[in-house]
Amino acid sequence: MRTLGLIAAFCLGGLLFFISFDFPSWGDALSPASRHVSPYYIEHSLEDTSVPNIVTAVLADYRGFDTLFETAVIFSAGLACFFLVRVSERQVPAARFYRHLATGITFRIEKGGRLPEGTGEFERIDSLWVPYDVIIGMTCRLVVPFIQLFALYVIAHGHHSPGGGFQGGVIFGAAIILFAISTNLRRTLKRMSERSSALLSSLGVLIYAGTGLLCLFMGAGFLNYRALAAILGVDQVAARSDGILIVESGVGIAVAAVMVWIYYNLSSAGKQDEGL
Amino acid sequence: MEEQFPAIIVAVPLFAALLVTLVWWFDNRFCFPIAILAGTVSLAASAGLLLRVLSTGVVEYRMGGWPPPVGIVYRVDHLNGLFLVVISAVSLLNLAGSRTIAKKEFGEKLGAFYALYLLFITGLLGILITGDAFNLYVLLEIASLTGYALIGMGRRRAPLSSLNYVFMGTIGASLYLLGVGYLYLITGTLNMADIARILPAILPSNVVLLAFILCLSGLFVKMALFPLHAWLPNAYTYAPSTVSSLVAPLTTKVMIYVMFRVTLSIFTVDFAFNSIAVRLPLLWLAIVAIVMGSLLALAQKRLKKMLAFIIVAEVGYMVGGFWLGNRAGMNGAVLHIINDAAMTLCVFMAAGAIVYKTEDDRLSSLQGMFRKMPVSMTAMVVGGLSLIGVPPTCGFFSKWYLISGGIAAGQFAFVAALIFSSLVNTVLFFRFFEIGYFEPFPPEKTRHHGHTGYLAQSKEMAEAPLDVLVPLITAAVLVILLGLFSGEIVTRVIQFAIPAVIG
Repeated sequence: MRTLGLIAAFCLGGLLFFISFDFPSWGDALSPASRHVSPYYIEHSLEDTSVPNIVTAVLADYRGFDTLFETAVIFSAGLACFFLVRVSERQVPAARFYRHLATGITFRIEKGGRLPEGTGEFERIDSLWVPYDVIIGMTCRLVVPFIQLFALYVIAHGHHSPGGGFQGGVIFGAAIILFAISTNLRRTLKRMSERSSALLSSLGVLIYAGTGLLCLFMGAGFLNYRALAAILGVDQVAARSDGILIVESGVGIAVAAVMVWIYYNLSSAGKQDEGL
Repeated sequence: MEEQFPAIIVAVPLFAALLVTLVWWFDNRFCFPIAILAGTVSLAASAGLLLRVLSTGVVEYRMGGWPPPVGIVYRVDHLNGLFLVVISAVSLLNLAGSRTIAKKEFGEKLGAFYALYLLFITGLLGILITGDAFNLYVLLEIASLTGYALIGMGRRRAPLSSLNYVFMGTIGASLYLLGVGYLYLITGTLNMADIARILPAILPSNVVLLAFILCLSGLFVKMALFPLHAWLPNAYTYAPSTVSSLVAPLTTKVMIYVMFRVTLSIFTVDFAFNSIAVRLPLLWLAIVAIVMGSLLALAQKRLKKMLAFIIVAEVGYMVGGFWLGNRAGMNGAVLHIINDAAMTLCVFMAAGAIVYKTEDDRLSSLQGMFRKMPVSMTAMVVGGLSLIGVPPTCGFFSKWYLISGGIAAGQFAFVAALIFSSLVNTVLFFRFFEIGYFEPFPPEKTRHHGHTGYLAQSKEMAEAPLDVLVPLITAAVLVILLGLFSGEIVTRVIQFAIPAVIG
C-alpha cells in the first residue's frame, strides 16, 4: 500500500513537472492570463470603484461573492471546531488549585470540596501552572493595544495599500490570543466571553451577507453596492468604495472572532476551564 | 422579485445559518423554525426559477452587477434548474424529519447543528447554480467542511471516519482546484462559458488535457467512484442518523452533477467524447464500481453500511450512463441522479427512524420489526424496491433508460453489470424483509446491546414519533410519484438539459 502510494505520488509529480514545459513562460506579458480578464481590472478598477488597490477591488467587489463565501468558510471552521471539540460546561475537573494572595500558599481542592470563589483572597491557578514572568506580562500588556490599533489601520487602509479584512482580522485576533498566552484563559474569557466571540463571528459574516441582501432589496443585484448610494447619500462609484469598506469590516470582525473562538476551544481541549 | 431568485436560493440559507448561530445562544427553540423557513424559501425560489427556465430558457444572474468574465455569474439551465429543486426539496424533507432525532443526538449543541446543516445546503445549492469554475470550488469547501463536522459528531468510530474523509476530501478538492488553476493559466478566465469559448482555439494542448484529468480525478474522489470510495462507507455508517440521511442522498449526486457540468460546459462535448479516448476506460471503471459496490454490500452485517455500499454501486450507474455518450444513457444518468436522491433519502430516513428506536443498526437486530414499526419498515421496503428497480417505483425507469442506452451503445458489459447489481439488491432487501417479517421479535431481549438506550429501556418498542414519520412517508410517496411522472420529467426537462450534439 505504501509503495502504491509512493508510485502514485511520483507519477503525479512527474506529470506536473513535465507539463510545466507547456506553460506560457514566467512573466510573459502575452500569456492568456495577462491578456484576457486582468487588463480590464487594471484599466477600470479605479473608475469603477474608486479604489486604488486593484487587489481589494477584485477581492471585495468584482469577485466579492467568492469572498463572502471565503468568510463563510472561516466561520464554518470556527463553528465546526466548537461543534466537535466543546464539551459541556457542567463537567467539573478532578481537582482545582487556588493560591492565597496574601501568603502565596497554594491549595489543592478535590472534587466536591468547597471552593473559595468570591472571597477575593484567593486566585485560581491552572494545574499546570508556571509562574508568570514579569517581563513577558508587562511587554504583552504594552504591546497588545498597539497591535490592535495597527489591525484597525490594516482593515481601514485596505483601499490604498496591502491589507484588508482578512489580514487586519488575523492581527486583531492574534493580539487577543497574545493576551491569553501571557496571562491565562480564564482572565481572557472574562474580557471576551465565548458567547461574545461566537456572536461576533456570526455578526461579522452577517454584516457581509446583510449588505448583499440589502442591495438585493434595494432593487439592484446581490452585493451590487451601487444600490447603497441612496442610503449613504453619495454617488454610485463612491458607494462601491464604501460598500467595500463595510464588508471588509465585517470580514475583519468575523476573522478576529473566529480565531479567538477556535483558540478557546483548542487550547483547553473544549473545556474552557483551564488552558494556556 | 422574480429576477432575484438565483441569489435568494443561496443567500437565504446562508443568512439563516448566521441568524441561527446568533439566536441559539439566547434561545434554543427558534433554531428549527428558522431553518425550516429558510429551506422553504429556497425550495420555492428554486421551483420558481425552474418554471422560468422552462418558459424562457437559460437564466443568468450577475453578482454585484458585473458582466461575465469580469464578475461571477449564476447560470441556470434545464440541468441545474432541475437539480436545484430536487436538492432543496430533499434537504428540506430531511430537515423536517430531523427535529426529534437531532434533539436526542446533539443535545445542547442543537443550534450549531442547524447552522452547519444550513451552511451545508448553501454549499450544495451554490455548487449547482454557479457558472464560475472557481466559485464552485469555494462552495465545495463550505459543503465539505460542514459535512466533515456533521459526520464527526456520530458515535463510536465517527471521528476517525470523518478524519479519513477529511484527508480524502481535501485531496479531491485540491486536485479539482489544481485543474481549474491550469485552465486559468491557459485561458485567463474562470467563467465556465468563457473557458468553453476559448478552449477550441488552443486545442490540442497538454495543459488542457492535464487539467481535464486533474478535475475529473478530484471529482472521482469526491463522488466515491470505486477504487477511490474508501472514505464513504464508514463516514456514512457512523454519522448521526439525521446527518447520514442528509449527506448520503446529496453529496455524491451533486459531485456527479459537477462532473456533468465540467465535462459538458467547460471542456465541451467535442473534446471529452471525440478528441480524447477517455470514454471507454471511464465506462469500464463505472462497470467495475457497480460490480464491486454490489459485492461489498452483500458482505455487510450492518444496515447503514449495506446501504452505503449500495451508494458506491449507484455512483457507477450514473458515471457509466454518462460516459455511454448517447442520449438514452445521459437521460438515464440525469434521471437516476434525481431518483437516487429520492430513494437514498427514503432508505436512510427509514434507517434513521429504526436506529433511533433500536439503538443498533445490525441487520440481526431487525427481527420482528415489521410488527413493531410497520410504517418505517414499509418505507424501507419501498425504497428498497426502487433500488432493485421494480415498477412503478422511480428506480425502474432510470434503470430502463440506462439499460436501453447501454444496448444502443453496444456496451453489453454495462447492461450485465446493471442487471447483476439489481439481482444483488434483490437479495439484500429480501434478506432484510425476511429478518424483519418472518423472524419473531425476541421477547426476552432488552432491545439494546449494552448501549445507553434510555428510550429502549423505559418504553416498549413501538413506531417512531409522528414528526419523524410524516416526512418519511412523504419521501416514500415521492419515490413512487417520481416513477409515475418520470416520462413527463424526461420529455419536459431532461431532454433539453443534454447538449443537442449528443445523438
